[in-house]
Amino acid sequence: MKKFIVFFSILALFTACGDAPQKAEAVSEDKPLLTLADFNAEAGNWIDKEIQIQGIVDHVCKHGGKRLFLVDDFGDVHIDGEERFDDALTGSQILVTGIIRELRIDEAYCLQMEADHIQKHKEGVDSKDVYESKMKHIQQYRDSMQSAGVDHLSFYNIDYVSHEIK
Amino acid sequence: MGNFLFTNPVVFMKTLRKWSRILHRDIGFFFIGTSLIYGLSGIALNHLKDWNPNYAVEQIEFKTDIPLEKNTDIKDNIQALLKDIDASARYKQHYYPQKDVIKIFLSGGSSVIVDLKTGDGYAEFLNKRWLFYHSNYLHYNPNVWWMWFSDLFAGALILFAVTSFFMVRGNKGIIGWGGFYTALGIIIPLVFLFVLL
Repeated sequence: MKKFIVFFSILALFTACGDAPQKAEAVSEDKPLLTLADFNAEAGNWIDKEIQIQGIVDHVCKHGGKRLFLVDDFGDVHIDGEERFDDALTGSQILVTGIIRELRIDEAYCLQMEADHIQKHKEGVDSKDVYESKMKHIQQYRDSMQSAGVDHLSFYNIDYVSHEIK
Repeated sequence: MGNFLFTNPVVFMKTLRKWSRILHRDIGFFFIGTSLIYGLSGIALNHLKDWNPNYAVEQIEFKTDIPLEKNTDIKDNIQALLKDIDASARYKQHYYPQKDVIKIFLSGGSSVIVDLKTGDGYAEFLNKRWLFYHSNYLHYNPNVWWMWFSDLFAGALILFAVTSFFMVRGNKGIIGWGGFYTALGIIIPLVFLFVLL
């Protein structure tokens, strides 16, 4: 009997301490509320800072489940988490609190990526088609920088902190 | 311990065999459930290219003349559409990924996409695969506590391998047929590595 009590106590400890990966949090007045429509324009002002953004979960990434795609009629953004998101969030309107991160693509980045792709193609990791597709992608980045007259491109995503279902 | 091994090797081996069996048996019982979870989900996830291991997916194409443009009646119109294509479908949300496209989310992960210009629609109904969905969910490490528990399970698998060496004596043990099967079980993955790497 004693062994059963000890065993089930340990089992209860495991299950009771199992936090759901997503935490619900009340809307905060400290953090700026961005819209998906303005996200790309405003994100540069809030890099590495916590913000809130609302949208519909279009899907949770099938591979790994640690990324979700937040959308509305006017824009979209990727939300990256450290733990899997619940599939059941798909189609839900949520308010996400997260930290904006920037991926900056400049000529140095392009050169590094090119070197990596050449190496992978040489080692036989990437087929000719994959290699050419990747190199074409890098050229597209260069063309975009040239046509915009800038020395870098910025892509933004959000590192997940918490969410609230609306 | 070293003295005991060399001065009483027979007693030492007897004790080792006894404890190997006890640990293999009792820890084995404890992890039966976990073994089934990882075994089932392992098979399911091994064949990701061939099937969706979490959901049975039903896809249907249809045509509709129900107006689905943005207006005050949109939710009523969506309900009318859903009645046409599947009476049991439950509306959750919708949005317009493009000017002339509406995407409607249903409960359970299903969705409907309609081209507003042509009325052509495509619905994808998802049904969870009982047992597979739940075991895959755990296999994906849903939280840190399960991760540690599954590390314990992995450690137990190593223990099962090691205790197997000592559990059986004689012709059927590691110095007999058991050794042959062990060698075969090591050679096969090595051959794959040699061929594929």
